[in-house]
Amino acid sequence: MPSERQAGIKAVRLSVSIMMTMLLAVAPVLSAPKSPGSKKLDKIRLKQLTWKIPQIGNEVQRIMLDNGMVVFLLEDHGLPLIEVNALIRTGQIYEPPSKMGLVSLTGTMLRGGGTVTMSPDSLNRLLEHMAITIETSIGMESGSAYMSALAKDMETGLEIFSQILRWPAFDSAKLEIEKSQFRESIRRRNDSPREILNREFAHLIYGDHVYGAYAQWQDIKDISRADLIELHRKYFHPNRIMLAVAGDFRTPEMLNLLEKSFAGWPASTLELPSVPEVEYESKPGVFLIEKDLSQAYIRIGKLGIKRDNPDRYAIALMNYILGGGSFTSRLTTRVRSDEGLAYSVGSSFDISSRDYGLFAAHCQTKNGTTHRAISLMLKEIADMALGLVSDEELEMAREAFINQFVFTFAGSGQIVNQLMSLEYNDYPPDYYEKYLENIRSVELPDIKRVAEKYINRDSLTIMVLGKSSDFDKGLDDFGKLTNLPLPDPGVDR
Amino acid sequence: MNSTAFLILIWVFLSGSLLPAAELPLAVRDFTLDNGMKFIVVERPMAPVVSLVIGYKVGSVDEKPGITGMAHLCEHMMFKGTRIFGTIDHAKELPYMRRIDSLAEIYHAELAELRHRFDDTGKPRLDSLKNEIHRIQIEQSKLIVKDELWETYLRHGGTNLNASTSNDATRYFVSLPANRLEIWAMMESDRMTGMVSREYYSERDVVHEERRLSLDNEPFGRLEEQLYAAAFTAAGYGWPVVGWASDLETMTRHDLEQFYKKYYCPDNAICAIVGDVDFEEVMRIARKYFGPIPPAGKPQPPTTMEPAQQGERRVEVRFDSEPLLAIGYHTVAANHQDQPVLDVIAAILTRGRTSRLHKRLVENDKTASWVRADAPFSRYPDLFTIWLGPKFPASTADNEKAIYQELESLKTIPVSELELERIRNQLEADFLRDLRSNLGLAFRLVNYEMLTGSWKNIAANLDKRKGVTAEDIMRVAAKYFTPENRTVASIVKKAESQSGAVRKASGD
Repeated sequence: MPSERQAGIKAVRLSVSIMMTMLLAVAPVLSAPKSPGSKKLDKIRLKQLTWKIPQIGNEVQRIMLDNGMVVFLLEDHGLPLIEVNALIRTGQIYEPPSKMGLVSLTGTMLRGGGTVTMSPDSLNRLLEHMAITIETSIGMESGSAYMSALAKDMETGLEIFSQILRWPAFDSAKLEIEKSQFRESIRRRNDSPREILNREFAHLIYGDHVYGAYAQWQDIKDISRADLIELHRKYFHPNRIMLAVAGDFRTPEMLNLLEKSFAGWPASTLELPSVPEVEYESKPGVFLIEKDLSQAYIRIGKLGIKRDNPDRYAIALMNYILGGGSFTSRLTTRVRSDEGLAYSVGSSFDISSRDYGLFAAHCQTKNGTTHRAISLMLKEIADMALGLVSDEELEMAREAFINQFVFTFAGSGQIVNQLMSLEYNDYPPDYYEKYLENIRSVELPDIKRVAEKYINRDSLTIMVLGKSSDFDKGLDDFGKLTNLPLPDPGVDR
Repeated sequence: MNSTAFLILIWVFLSGSLLPAAELPLAVRDFTLDNGMKFIVVERPMAPVVSLVIGYKVGSVDEKPGITGMAHLCEHMMFKGTRIFGTIDHAKELPYMRRIDSLAEIYHAELAELRHRFDDTGKPRLDSLKNEIHRIQIEQSKLIVKDELWETYLRHGGTNLNASTSNDATRYFVSLPANRLEIWAMMESDRMTGMVSREYYSERDVVHEERRLSLDNEPFGRLEEQLYAAAFTAAGYGWPVVGWASDLETMTRHDLEQFYKKYYCPDNAICAIVGDVDFEEVMRIARKYFGPIPPAGKPQPPTTMEPAQQGERRVEVRFDSEPLLAIGYHTVAANHQDQPVLDVIAAILTRGRTSRLHKRLVENDKTASWVRADAPFSRYPDLFTIWLGPKFPASTADNEKAIYQELESLKTIPVSELELERIRNQLEADFLRDLRSNLGLAFRLVNYEMLTGSWKNIAANLDKRKGVTAEDIMRVAAKYFTPENRTVASIVKKAESQSGAVRKASGD
């Protein structure tokens, strides 16, 4: 990209394989028993669909600014809009659990607390008058910032966006409001049963690791503006920020603007804090939290894998067959369709987590069918390891993954964001080129093997939230039963 | 085939910038088949994908007491298959379904009897009937190809696959690789006429679980249900889309069949197709698959209208959660001239950090953690609503008072030109942002066609909203935001409800 080699801008091109063309015309292979309809469908001839995986150096430019900031750009002149996403290398994982609230507040207050040259109120007035949206947050494994503006307001939008990232003011009065908002959300954390179960399940599995922790008011109430400034200073440096820019702009002009907006921001050589590892252990048993509800909320699961585990493709397909493929999955067919016991039932297996993610099957059913629903779920989970999955089931799952792949790149914003996340999360640059091959190469023995290895019945944690006196049977035949209290939010009234 | 396909560009005039038409390549074209089914098509070759939405103009407002929740249950049943999908041999299923129907008839008669005697001694008998129905259904399942429609879409790469039912409409949607258009047309045209309500009774139980999940155990669901039930005493917006629990125990398969026959027909359907497609090919495929379906005659709209409210209504829900507040005012339907004004008022009140209620309640008074106002966009006159989460120790009553003050000031003090300009800029930007996704655009096209009579109102409505004046706002606020037109619902934390926390606010 020689034309982009302008003063102060280094063009860096990743070494990626040559652009490949994929043919997406996998005609589904069906086996008996067939419906009359499926025979009619088989007669429809599908035209071949030709498309390319977007590549850095072709559609998408990847540029490193002088200060080390990496920028992904994709022009799209379809609508007069610009969209910018930033990923900042920070997150709750770099801090102890007691700082979760601080990290999260810093994320919100970047946008909410004004900049050194603009009070929060003038900032809000200016942005909203121009219909520019900017939002910021810091989550578990990254910080993020988002900007959307009309193309004609690109310059103002980027200027403010860069000010917010670089010169946030963390206004004290707004901080007090944000803290009281936080306090209110903690007070309300037991309002929704789904939220309670997700939170307490993760907490039980991860123990004191930050993955299972949640913010406590006692750690937040004394936070001051100085704490936010210090956290910002620790993590926000241009060489730890990536930008994905898509929309109605010309690349050289956009690069000049970015260069100007972030000019003079020095790179940092400080090391990031080390991240404590998740200790891999299972906590089998049944854990019951009492709450007066008309349904029992059920979650069954355990620690899963890290994202660099080569079994991730086999696991993705195995979970699709078990409970990830919505209606076609075994859990839904059995618990919902056959028995009418639940509206929402299924399973998820996180294969994209930096450290061990979660496998969890879930279901909500009326109190009187709790024991029955759990029995059915456990049987379906156990069956996965018995080699009972058919060729057809696996083929169906593979087809869904292969044919859905085109949607990974359905819009310009999505394309740059996907490529940015790939690099942020240290995936190999040829991840997408090899993706289909990786899915295709999963065979039936792999499904059995990963089920045995990763969702073994004896290592599962079962957690239930509900009114146990209305259950159809006691839950102790599923394992050792432990009653857990519903933790009080810990906000004084 | 009514060959009135024509081409309209959606124009957006952006203040301060001149945009050549070529930069807004949004050619929307439509055509109507002889049987009355309308198709709206946008060719958009950015990526080799297409989003497909079919809307049927039927929602819970078309139901009657006794079958509340039927539109939504019907949406669920549409995934159970047809005469040719979801079964190996439909003819062989019929004896099973007849046996289930006759047992269900006994079940419903006994349930009705027990309900009228206020007696639950018959429960064991009911349970055994239910088990017998279940047993026959399991026998029938040898002939059933489970969830075949869903599975077929997924294996063809379907994403965003689902359906939704609202008060006004039912929509079926999916995004597919662009070469799958014909697969979609075949399956959708088939289930427009050939739906078979197999596994009806277990699906009715599934919907009952859905009701428990989203209404019984979630404070928001409960609050919304009770607000609308109190505000509407006659018209069909008063019952929840998912239906009342007692109806979910008694609606029969026969009720479903009647409902389906009446509303699932080409002259009651609108389709939007946005993506990498060719208009001529869409016409060819539409004619081939949907063309032969006979029209059924547009169904009669509901006749019961809501009488004017004559005094404030207040409803309290005791629930195991922190308090919430909802306020509703009877207003207008989507087509009414005041609708765009209400849209602008909602934006003035709660859109963004500079909006009036956010500024006042969240930032200045610090009595709420969030607040949201919604203008209705419905087939029939519906509620303008304000939702709020009070921040401890402030009560719902403290917040009510402040909200009424802000609504009063809309009636008496003209909104400044600066504030109106901000709203106009936001409306324009939103309009463009809403065009970005294929599926989002397809939804808008279908919704406008169903609720206002034409998708062309998308652009017309933007102009109307941009033309709203300070006087319009004063007039409309004074007309609708009156105490006698108001319904107030609140969630009161169970343990504290004895003290009667929905106190009447003193500010009006």
